[in-house]
Formats: sequence, C-alpha cells, structure tokens
Amino acid sequence: MKRPGSVPTTAGAGALGNPTPGTDPTTRRELLLAAATAATAAVLLPGCGGSATPTPGSTLHHTLVDPDGDTLLRTGPGLPLRDRTDLSPRAKTGATLVTLAQLSDLHVRDAQSPGRVAFLDRLGPRLGSAFRWHETLTAQTVAAAVDAVNAARPDAVLVTGDLADSAQRNELAWALTLLRGGTVRTDSGRRGYQGVQAASIPDPLYYRPAVDAPRHPRLLARAVEPVRSAGLRAPFHPVLGNHDILVAGEIAPTAATRAAATGDRLLVTPAPALLEQLRGLQPTRAQVDELLRTGLPGEAITVAPDPDRTQLDAADVVGQLRGRGGGAGARLDYGADAGDRVRVIVLDLVRRDAGSGGLVTAATIAALRRELAAAGHRYILVAVHQPLAQTAGGDAIHDLLDADPRVVAVLAGHTHRNAIAPRRSPVGGYWLITTASIVDWPQQWRALRLVETAGGGIALETWMVDHTGRPNDEDSLAGIARDLAFLDPQGDRPAHAAGPPTARNVRLFLPPRAPRAPKTPGTPRALPPPTAPERLGAGDAVAAA
Amino acid sequence: MSFALRTAWASLHGRPGRAALTAAGIAAAGLVLGVALTVAYALSTGFDRAADRAELPTVVARFDDEDPSTVDAAVRDLPNLAAASYRYERTNVRLAAGGHVLDQGVLEVVRGGRRGYAIVAGRDVRTAAGAPLEVVVERGLATQWGLRVGDRLRVGRLGFAPIVGISVAPDNVAYPLAKTARIMVGEGALLRRFGAPPGQHFAVNTALLWARDPSRSDVLVSAARQSSFGLRQLRFLTRSGIEALVGQAAGIVVALLVAFGIVATGLAGVLLGAGAQSEVQRALDRIGLQRALGVAPGAVVAVHALRGALVAAPAAGVGLTLGALAGRAPTGRVLASLNELPPSAGRLVALLALVWAGAVALVAGASALPAWRAARRPPAELLRGGDVAGPRRGGRAGSTRGGLAALGARLVLARRLRFAAVVAVLGAAASVVLLLLALASLLQALRDDPATLGKRYQLTTRLPESSTRAVEAIPGVQAAAVRYSADAVSAFSLGSPLKVIAYSSGDHTRFEAPPLASGRRARGQGEAEVGLGLADALGLRPGSTLVIQPLGPREVRFRVVGIVRALQDEGRVAYVDPDRLRDAGVALDGPMVLRLRPGASRARIAAGLDALGARADAVAGATGDSGAFLDVLAGLLRIVAATVALVCLHALVSALALTARERRGAVATLRAAGADARALRRLLAGAALVVVVPAVVVAIVLETALLSPLVAHLAAGYADLPLAATTGQVAAVAGGLLLLSWLAAGWTGHRLVREPVVAGLREDA
Repeated sequence: MKRPGSVPTTAGAGALGNPTPGTDPTTRRELLLAAATAATAAVLLPGCGGSATPTPGSTLHHTLVDPDGDTLLRTGPGLPLRDRTDLSPRAKTGATLVTLAQLSDLHVRDAQSPGRVAFLDRLGPRLGSAFRWHETLTAQTVAAAVDAVNAARPDAVLVTGDLADSAQRNELAWALTLLRGGTVRTDSGRRGYQGVQAASIPDPLYYRPAVDAPRHPRLLARAVEPVRSAGLRAPFHPVLGNHDILVAGEIAPTAATRAAATGDRLLVTPAPALLEQLRGLQPTRAQVDELLRTGLPGEAITVAPDPDRTQLDAADVVGQLRGRGGGAGARLDYGADAGDRVRVIVLDLVRRDAGSGGLVTAATIAALRRELAAAGHRYILVAVHQPLAQTAGGDAIHDLLDADPRVVAVLAGHTHRNAIAPRRSPVGGYWLITTASIVDWPQQWRALRLVETAGGGIALETWMVDHTGRPNDEDSLAGIARDLAFLDPQGDRPAHAAGPPTARNVRLFLPPRAPRAPKTPGTPRALPPPTAPERLGAGDAVAAA
Repeated sequence: MSFALRTAWASLHGRPGRAALTAAGIAAAGLVLGVALTVAYALSTGFDRAADRAELPTVVARFDDEDPSTVDAAVRDLPNLAAASYRYERTNVRLAAGGHVLDQGVLEVVRGGRRGYAIVAGRDVRTAAGAPLEVVVERGLATQWGLRVGDRLRVGRLGFAPIVGISVAPDNVAYPLAKTARIMVGEGALLRRFGAPPGQHFAVNTALLWARDPSRSDVLVSAARQSSFGLRQLRFLTRSGIEALVGQAAGIVVALLVAFGIVATGLAGVLLGAGAQSEVQRALDRIGLQRALGVAPGAVVAVHALRGALVAAPAAGVGLTLGALAGRAPTGRVLASLNELPPSAGRLVALLALVWAGAVALVAGASALPAWRAARRPPAELLRGGDVAGPRRGGRAGSTRGGLAALGARLVLARRLRFAAVVAVLGAAASVVLLLLALASLLQALRDDPATLGKRYQLTTRLPESSTRAVEAIPGVQAAAVRYSADAVSAFSLGSPLKVIAYSSGDHTRFEAPPLASGRRARGQGEAEVGLGLADALGLRPGSTLVIQPLGPREVRFRVVGIVRALQDEGRVAYVDPDRLRDAGVALDGPMVLRLRPGASRARIAAGLDALGARADAVAGATGDSGAFLDVLAGLLRIVAATVALVCLHALVSALALTARERRGAVATLRAAGADARALRRLLAGAALVVVVPAVVVAIVLETALLSPLVAHLAAGYADLPLAATTGQVAAVAGGLLLLSWLAAGWTGHRLVREPVVAGLREDA
C-alpha cells in the first residue's frame, strides 16, 4: 500500500510485487488509470509499502495459522509491516533501491543415505533435525519456494547456506539443480524408497507416513518421483553453510564417514548401549571414525549402495558454489552487485574441521576488507550462514562493519529462526537479520526491499513469504511437507522458529547517511585462537525460545 | 370433533371393564417399553456421560517413574495438545476404614491441572504446597464400605486422612468389580508429610493428555510415541481404548441388556398396535350401527382413534413410569459398578415423554386404521358381526363334533385374521420369554463354564514351562502348557487395545479353539489368528499384517492367517507363537493350563499337582465372579418376564372375551341346554388351546430365526453366542402358556356365567 504521503516508486524492476516502472502518465486516460490502480492497491495491499500486485504466499496478505490448535493449518489474516525505529525515527518511504529474496537452510536431503544419523533424533529436541517427519520432501519444498520467489521477481536471491543436508555429492547436485532449474529425483540407491520411514520398519520412534497418523499412504513412493523446478530467474548468490561441507553439519568427511555413506548398512534402531554412549558424549572426529570403524551396533537394514552419496571436500563444494559467485581461494568469500545501488558481500564462516558454529578466519577478514573497499558508493548487505553472535571472531567482523555507514544489514540463516535485532554503531548502525529455514517450519523465505526515505535515509522493508505448497492438500507434496513440519514435536513449531511479528514483517528504518566509504575504516580486533568446537551436535536444531 | 370426543368418552364410560382391560394391556406393554428404554438408554450412554463429566483425558500414558520435568519436556510440545497433567500412581496400598481392609488400594498423587475424574460428593483434594493430608475416594469403595464425606480412611503408612470427596472416573470399572480401589491425595500434602524441601516434586508415572481436537487424537498419540524415547515401559491408552477395556469387563452383559432392550421395545410396539386393533374388532357392531345412522366414516375413525388415545394416554404413562422406575434402580447399580453415571431425571423424563407421545400416537393410529377399513364396508355386514378382514365364513362353526373344546377351537378359527393376530401377539411375547430364558442360561454359562469361551482346559496351576512333562504325566491330564497372555495395542492404531495369547507348546488349538470365521489355523512362528472383534477394529483379514506394540517401544509383527469368533475380550485377541514375543523382549507370564481326559478325577489330579508343589484352580468363565452384576441382571429380566406374562394373559383374555361376545347366542343356547360353568371353561379352553399351540411354534421360530441372531449380533457380532432356546426352555414356555390359557378360560367363563342366559338368547333371536 502506498502509505499516506509516500514517495512514488521509481526504481526496482517490478520486484516483489512492485508496479512495473514506466514513464509518467501523459494522457488523461493514463492518468485516470494510474489513479485507479493506485487506489486499488491502497485497498488491497495495506501496509505493503507500495506493492500493487499481491505476491503469491506473501504473509502481508495471508498467513497460515492454526487458530484452534488442532494442528490443521488454515488461511489467516495478513500481517502488515510494522515500523521498527530502534535505529532511526519513522520517515516517509520512497524509491526502491533493490529487491531481494533470502532463502536459507534448504537442507536438501538424501533420506535414504546410510551416512545419516536419523537414529539420534530420539535423544531429544537438540538432535531433532537428525530426522524430520517430512524429510523425503525437501526437494519438493525447495521447488515450491523457487516458484514463489520467481512470482515475486526480485532483483537477486541470497541463499544463505545449508543447501545440502549432509555434505553429500548427490544432495548438493540436487540443490543446485533445483535452484538453477531442471528435474531431480531424490532417489538414491536402487529405484524406490529404502529408509527409516518405510512401513516395514518396526521402530515407532520414526514417523512412517503409511501407517502412523497422520497417514499419507503413498507418500514415500511419490516423494521419490521426479521433481521439476523452474529454477530461480533472478541471479542467486550462495553462502556456504556448515551442512554443505560437514557431515550432518558437524564433522568434516573422513574415509570412514564416506565409507558409511556409500555403503549398504543403514542403522535404524541403535543398540541402547550406543545411545547411552552418545547421549553424554561430545565426540571428536577421531572418536566418530572409531565408532564407524567398529560398526554402529543396533538393528540395521540393507540398502542399495550408491557412490553418489559420497561426501564432498570443502574445496569441491566451494568450487561448485563459486560457479555462481566470485572470489577465489579456499573460502567462499565474495561480493556481488544487486542492482546499481547495492553491493552484497558474502562471507564464509564455516569451520573446516568440525562444529556447527561459525568461525572467522584471517582470510575472511581480508576478504571483507577487500570487498568493503570495492563497494564504492553503494549500500552494503552482508550475507553469512551463521549469525555473527554464534561465530567465533564475529566481533572482528562487527568492528569493520560498525565503522562503515554503507552497511544496511547482516543477513544470516543457520538458526532456523526469524530474528531481527538492531546493531548500534557510531555511524548509525545496521540490522542483524536471521531468517528461518525452508526445510523446517515455517518453510518461508524472506522478501527484502531497500527503499529511500524522506530526509536522505533508507529503510529495509522485509516480510516473509510462504512457498506455493497448499496446506491440507494430499495432491501437494510441498504442502504435506509443511503440514508435517508443523506437526513434528521436535521440529521448529514448538521452538517458535517463526519468531515474533517484529522479526517477520517489518520496516527497518536507518538514519540518514550517504553511502560513502568511511574515512577511517574499522580495525578488527584480534581473532581468538583456533579452538576445538565447543560441542558436536547433529545440525542446526533450534533451541526452545 | 366434539361428536367424536363425546362418543369416545361415552364408549369408555359405557364399558368400564373393557376399557380397563384394554388399559391394562397397554400399561403392560408400556411397562416393558419403560424398562427396556431405561436400560438401553442408560447403559448405552453411560460411558460417554461419565467421561464428559469427568473430563476423561483423550490419551493416558503410563510409564516407569520419571522426573516430571523430563516428562513435561516430552509432552508439552506435542501437536493437538490442549492440556496435560501428571500423576504418580502407587499400587498395593493398604486401605482401612470402618472394619474394612483392602491391600490392593491404588494411591494417586495428583498435581495441578485437569483431573480426569468427577467429584460426585464433597470436594476435590487441594494440591498446593503445605496443604493438609486429605483424600478423595472412588465411589465404588465408598459405596461398598459405606464411606461418606467426613469419614476417615487409613492410607497405608500415611495414617488416617479425612475423606473430603467422592469421585467417579470411567477409566476403569469400580471396586469391587475391579479388584483395586483408587484414592486421590494432593502432592503438596504428601510432600509436607515427608518433609520435602520447597520446590521438590514427586516422580510421575502417568500422563493424562487432552487433545484440542479429539477426532485427531491419533496425531497426538503418534507424536507422543515418537517423542517418548527414554520413558520405560510406556503404554498408551486412548479414550476409545478405555471404553473397549471397560467393555471387556462387563461389555457382554451390558451389550446383551441393551440389545434385549431394543428387541423388547420393538415387541412393546407390536403389542400396543395389536391391542388397539383387537379393541376395534370388538366394536364392529357399533361401527355398523353408527354407519347405519348416517355417521360419516371420518367421524367413525375419529371416534376410535380418540378412544384409543384416551385409553392409551394414562395407561401408557403409568406403564412407562412404572417401567422406568422398575428399571432405574438395577440399571443404576450396573452403571455404578462400571464407574458410569445415570442419565439425569430431566433427560429421562424427556425421553419417556417422547416415547409416551409415540405410544399414544401408535395406539390411536392402530385403532384408526381398522376403523377406517370397517367404516367403508356396508353397515348391514357389520351389524351381522362381520370381521374387518372379510366376510365371515359360515357352515362349520355350529358343528359340535369333537366336543365342547373342539367347538371352542372352531369358534376361534372361524375368524382367521383375528386368529392370526392373536397367535402373532402371543408368539411374539412367548418368543421374548424364550429369549429371556436363553439369556439367563448364557449368562450363567459365561460365568461358570469356560467352554462357552471356547476353552478346552479345565484346570490351571502355577508352574513353570519346564514342569509341563511332569504335569502331563499325572493320570487324567491329557495335555498341559503355559498360557501366556499380554496386554498390547495395535502399533498403527494406538487406541486399539488387544490381548495377545500364546501357549508354550506353540499350538493353542489343543487348549482353546474359537471357531474359525475365515482363513486357517496359525502354524508358523510369524502367524496369528485374530478375533473377529480385533479384525473389525483394525480392518484385518487373512494375509494382513498385525503389528502390535506390547509394553515398550518395540513393535512385533505377525501375518494374519485366520479370523476366529472369539468371545473373550470382545474378540480383541490374537493367538500367536510365544517365540516372536520373547524375541521382541516381551516379558511373558501366565498360568499352566491343564486339559483333562473325559471322566478324569480332579481329586487325583489335584493330588498330583500338590506333589509338584502346586495347587489346582478350576477355570471360571468370562464374567468371572461378578455375582452382584448378574443378580442385577436377573432382577431386570424377572421384571420383564413377569410383564410379558401379563401381556400374554391379557391377549388370551381379550381373544376369549371377544369370541364369547361374538358368540353370545351360541353360548346362551349351550347354557340353556344345560352347559354349566365347567362346560363353558372347556369350551373356552379349547378356544385358548387352538391359539396357544401355534403361538408356541411361532415363538420357537421367532426366537431361533430372528431374535436370537439379532440380539447376538447386536451384543457381540464378533462371536457366536449360544442364544438358542433349549428344549426344556421351550417346554417351560409352552407349559406357562397353557397355564395362562387355563387362567384366561377360567376368568372368561366366570364372567360368562354371570350373564343372564336370556340376554344372549334374545340377541341371537
């Protein structure tokens, strides 16, 4: 909606529902038409900051809610943009500088891989992401998210990490195909599903869709049928996530983990002794290797081996992702333009040894300095996987960003939770934005629109968008995936991953400032000495809010 | 309308005796209806009523003692969860009060939140920290021991505590039908008693879960199971599962009562209609007169409909009320033993009012229809005494061959339609009596005779599997094996409880072999025979997979090869091989059962077992030792039987009186020729006999072909209930009808001789 007194939109190529740019109306008829369009938009799109065409799935118009708590999702009212004035007072919004989409944590999973640790799920919510009720439907979910993004026509897309679930070659290939466009069949091994969710598995601690409530009798067979993705039409900039290069997001691949993943033994029900051993253990890579070498005790099934399940080296992954980005070296640090007024800086904070938390290296600091210097008179958005607060050495990054008035926001993923916090600094500050995952509830991506405000300031408008899966529709696999993600008692619903309204649909004001490089760039503090990861888990499970 | 009302009223006043007789018949039918409805309605809705009042949880999860915070962590995020509360339950607590002692008390330590039981007297316990020790006792215990609010109960080593309330929870049958009795104590009081520091809590071993949408409780249970790792010996019970389990305790008896109530209601309707129709038949001459005087057919119909309604309204009201009163007390006792609640008086009155209106309408309609048919016929024919069904057939009625009894029979047979109606009414009533007798026999057999359940063993003893050979060596023992039995649920439908039965010998058919409904007997280790009740509940058929979950998270799978008509546990049983259960870690336990040779001496076998250090126990039936329960049932059946006998008597008297009235001239002629009261009784007895004999045949056919299968199907469609009447029962019913015939003939004869002979002769002339 055009807020009263708002400045007419003049830039941004029709993205995220913006009206298509055009010349000023010259005839009376065109003038009337433009007025009628504006009036319609004002009625239809309250709080949308200028959108005329409703974006499919936009939570500005509709949200998916469970009003009576019966676990069936229904269409609820929209959530209008709320103004957040933590860093700057409210001001009239004007021209759009850029529109972006942020997809995070796709976790495209090979649900039949023997390299998985689904059995750890039973140890509790902290390890809940080891197994998901809807884990066979990650490709369908990503394809539905791609469709929703394309409908919004952003200028660029940021994919903030964890494209794959467990560093497997086939998982990364599927994820990239889905993002670039093409058909994938997430069916490794022999044709047909072989995994822990089969009805024949006598372990009720897994959700088995054919026999457990809510029943979806043919779900597994349908899940491994080909999935067609249109591919992102806008350029996308990938960020490296811990799950892209670490097994289960925790441990760098070894010969033992690769042998397990490409083998034929899929552990289903671990021996009680193994669980007891793992319950209190924070295993090192050596210990994991030792466990794998001796064979994980418990009841297992034999699956068809598949060499495509092998886990990639970090360099391989970075190489494949760099195909879409820039930079050089062993880490995926690079910059990219998003329109002519905004520069995106992508930083690689993923550990190469083990541990899901982030780590800042000297190479990353150097890359950031280089990209800041090259950004020119453009606003800057920094994209990372792990939030800086969960990154060893994150303060050093802040030292550089705090001094730069061009920095608008740091966009992160990893936590599978929506959160937005202001970062105050002497030059005006910026916003720290963390976005929920595509794989877990609420399975939304974040729309971002940077707009000018009256008085020379800017505001970052952001709102969440649902993918195109239809709730409670047996014909919509992506819809079923979301329904199941909502039900999963160890999923992100109970963790309130959707976040509060102030972390979803908001207009984030920034103080007036010119996008100019600081005269005195920041000086990063010394990086902490490299240490062993604090604790190994099984991914990025969200802690209870 | 005023003409119709006036005429109807005058008709009732003019013949008060006949009106009273009609009213008596309607009242009797109303009484049957009242009893049947009260029983059927109260029992069929008792569980839901109590469950709603008690806020029975959607799911009950039991597990080994666990820290409440651990349990809450696994529970609080479950989907579709509206509320949860936790309890610590301790069994085998000694309870004592007023000279009574029970060692099988169950102490339930309740915390905050919903309770899952209803307080029916007094108040609930307080759970806050520092609250004084007080108890709520279950109603069964309070009734059995005569406890009231304010009395004191000794609770194990806790000592005496005041009773502050009495509760009902339909998640189990009541003490003493259940061997245990439950009492509730607040957690705060116990912590205070034990001097626990602030903030400390009791462990919990029961979680009560309420779903927001009970129709999606399967999702809740499925998620609960998935989140349950770490809880040991976990088992779930859903509300429908609780209902099934309670049903297994007394379900067959309740189901039989409800089914009988439905059948009896149908019978009462037939009786009401037939009685009304017969009343019109007795008034054909008056209808003819009215028509001859120019009264319109519609007015004639209105007169008889109103007459029927005027008689039926008070009579049906009295009958229904008496029936409801007669049925309410024993039904209440049945409900109390099931921990269920009776319907409110208001609801029962509303139901009876509805039925009363229906009964009056039925009688009015049943009176109007024959009146309408009669009013359309020529008045002259009616004045000649023509029957409603057609012209009278003359010729043989006046013959006296075969004596007076034969003459009486011919007089009745001359009115074929009426004869058929009376035979039908008597036959229907007698068939219900036959059904009652068969029911009584069945219930006794269920209590006493294990063979009714398909069991072929007669004794049990407590010996390990290793003693099997030694037991089989005892003279008179044909076979012995340990009978294992375990409670489980279907792994794919966690609300479906079932009983798994396995014999150490592997072959259960030597010891119990319910008849096969389809498929074949289980032979292999992974095969199962399942009861029809279970097969219906889970949609199983030969070739399906039965997936059960005994205590704990592991599933055990069997291939269903046969469906059997088992009566035990409402057919929710599965006969399997024990090895697969053992492989899944199921702890198997059970008695050794002994199948005896024909004519074996139980004393010698008992001595043989004694030598092995064991004791022989006779095998009981399905309903066990619930004598009180069966007494209640017997009381209800007696009421209905007596009422049905009255109905039979009424039908016979009506038929004889009508025949005598139509043949007043012939009877007067006989009396003028010297026939005394004894001769008239012979005449009437012959008339009664010709009705009773075919009525008995009709009764046997009805009971065998319709009522028995109907009740068996309604009560237990999953099994073969032996509800066919025996020869002795048929003989008893036939004898009873003959006795009633004799009574009816005597009474009608007595009335005939009081009438002046000339009156009859004048009419004939």
